[in-house]
Amino acid sequence: MVRVMVVDDHPMWRDAVERDLQAAGHEVVAVAANGREAMARFPASAPQVVVLDLQLPDNTGVQVTSMMIEHDPTARVLILSASGEQGDVLEAIKAGATGYLVKSASSAELIDAVVRTSEGEAVFTPGLAGLVLGEFRRIADGSAADDPRDQLTDRETEILKMVATGMSYKQIAARLVLSHRTVQNHVQNTLRKLQMNNRVQLTRWAIEHGLDEEDA
Amino acid sequence: MPRADSALAVEDRLYSALALVRVVVTINMVGLNAYRRDNFDHPTIALAIVLGLVAWTAAAIWLYHDRARRTSVLLVADLAIAVAAMAVTPWVKSPDFNATIPGYWVMGALLAWAIHWHWKGGLVAAVALAVTDLLPRSQVDQGNYGNVFLVLIGGPIVGFMCESLQRMARERDAAEHAAAAAEERTRLARAVHDGVLQVLTMTQRRGAAAGGEWADLGRLAGEQERSLRSLIRQQDTVPTAAGGQVDLAGALEAMATAHPVRVEVATPGGAVLVDVRVATETVAAVRACLDNVLTHVGPDASAWVLAQSAPDAITVSVRDDGPGISPGRLEEAESQGRLGVASSIRGRIEDLGGTAVMESGSWGTEWELTVPLA
Repeated sequence: MVRVMVVDDHPMWRDAVERDLQAAGHEVVAVAANGREAMARFPASAPQVVVLDLQLPDNTGVQVTSMMIEHDPTARVLILSASGEQGDVLEAIKAGATGYLVKSASSAELIDAVVRTSEGEAVFTPGLAGLVLGEFRRIADGSAADDPRDQLTDRETEILKMVATGMSYKQIAARLVLSHRTVQNHVQNTLRKLQMNNRVQLTRWAIEHGLDEEDA
Repeated sequence: MPRADSALAVEDRLYSALALVRVVVTINMVGLNAYRRDNFDHPTIALAIVLGLVAWTAAAIWLYHDRARRTSVLLVADLAIAVAAMAVTPWVKSPDFNATIPGYWVMGALLAWAIHWHWKGGLVAAVALAVTDLLPRSQVDQGNYGNVFLVLIGGPIVGFMCESLQRMARERDAAEHAAAAAEERTRLARAVHDGVLQVLTMTQRRGAAAGGEWADLGRLAGEQERSLRSLIRQQDTVPTAAGGQVDLAGALEAMATAHPVRVEVATPGGAVLVDVRVATETVAAVRACLDNVLTHVGPDASAWVLAQSAPDAITVSVRDDGPGISPGRLEEAESQGRLGVASSIRGRIEDLGGTAVMESGSWGTEWELTVPLA
């Protein structure tokens, strides 16, 4: 059983997700219709997984993600989005979300994604894998520093490309003659690197702008 | 056409600048007349005229400052005073005078006309001042000719430039307005699209659960949902179309959406700009791959397209979930002269100087198309 919080501004959709999760034996500990409500209810309900619609009316999907992760680093955020706006999805992932699903996914896919997210697994769509590959390419093109922590290994790139062309972890494991667990680890590593790089960028930015100094 | 606010704002700034010019030419006028005070036949009247001009300068600066007071009457009066001050010079100084009493002070009225009535105003004022300057003179020397020539050239030119400045301000305003309107339209469209997508996905899920005819409805909703989502993504990556380049990611999305095979397109996010020919041929090659999927796997097949972009090359991968091609079958077909689709894919990509590699296995068939960017 997974303790889930559902954040979505469409009541119809919120109810459907809640019903699906409960039918599968999970507990919906809180629901929220916007970022403000989500942040107010998050600490007390302490969910394991937050199913978060990025298109919230107050436009705070990315912010809510980073605030939740900051408040409780063990919390997992699964992004659920209708239109798949690329920039927002990538920003939310960089802010610490570990999964992404489009709303057209079936009930079974949603339940599966919630369970996998709660177990710490990264839930990718082909679209997200493409975005992450593109982001690492931009990082590589943009920086002269050859920090290996900023770059994907050949194996990681290979696996992400397979995810981006719709292959399941099982198919990838069979094709590369690896264990399912190893494939999972590689995919998770790519997210960790991306989030690490994001934090390094933010810190660097803060130092460059003097935000690390104490207020005079 | 009524003047837009921005054009009036430009006029305001030009009159502010002119106020400064008026102060400078007035100080110059007072100084020169004081220096040549011995040249006057009627020094008292000359003093009165100079004081009058100073007073008018102060009044004009105040009057021109406000848009409502900036009327044709004011402009005509301004020029009339300048012309009158010049016209009385032969009598106040002496018939064989050299410099007029106002001298360069008349520039104030000339520029005011140029700002307000553009090149025509500048020309009319310049002609009036030139005629007044030349008529009473018994002989015109090089200096007089030079001054008149500059006034006649300068008036219309300054007027023309004022007009251009105002037109540019108006055009900039119109462009900003259009951009803001487009942005607002996009924002509204997003809100509408999001709502429609929610309903379509909901119909799709509930339909699938209900079964029967509802499942058909759900499937249709799913198709619409996919094409709308793809359209929105294409809108996000509208080509900047700089230097004949187009967005390959958007073009792939558009083609894949229209293709009968169910295709999911993954892009690096943002536009992938390539030359038109590279985009056209690559999209055609990918379409051939998808046609191939339709022929060999059937209409229920799923396919995935991944576009990647590096500074020196683009790579497009196309995979299907079919049973794959058994080893040797492609070579066999080739040896029998049935080149078909594979050669058409290879041909297009090799014409672009790239490579097309096919791999097949239990996980399906995958084409990897790599095209170098010159």
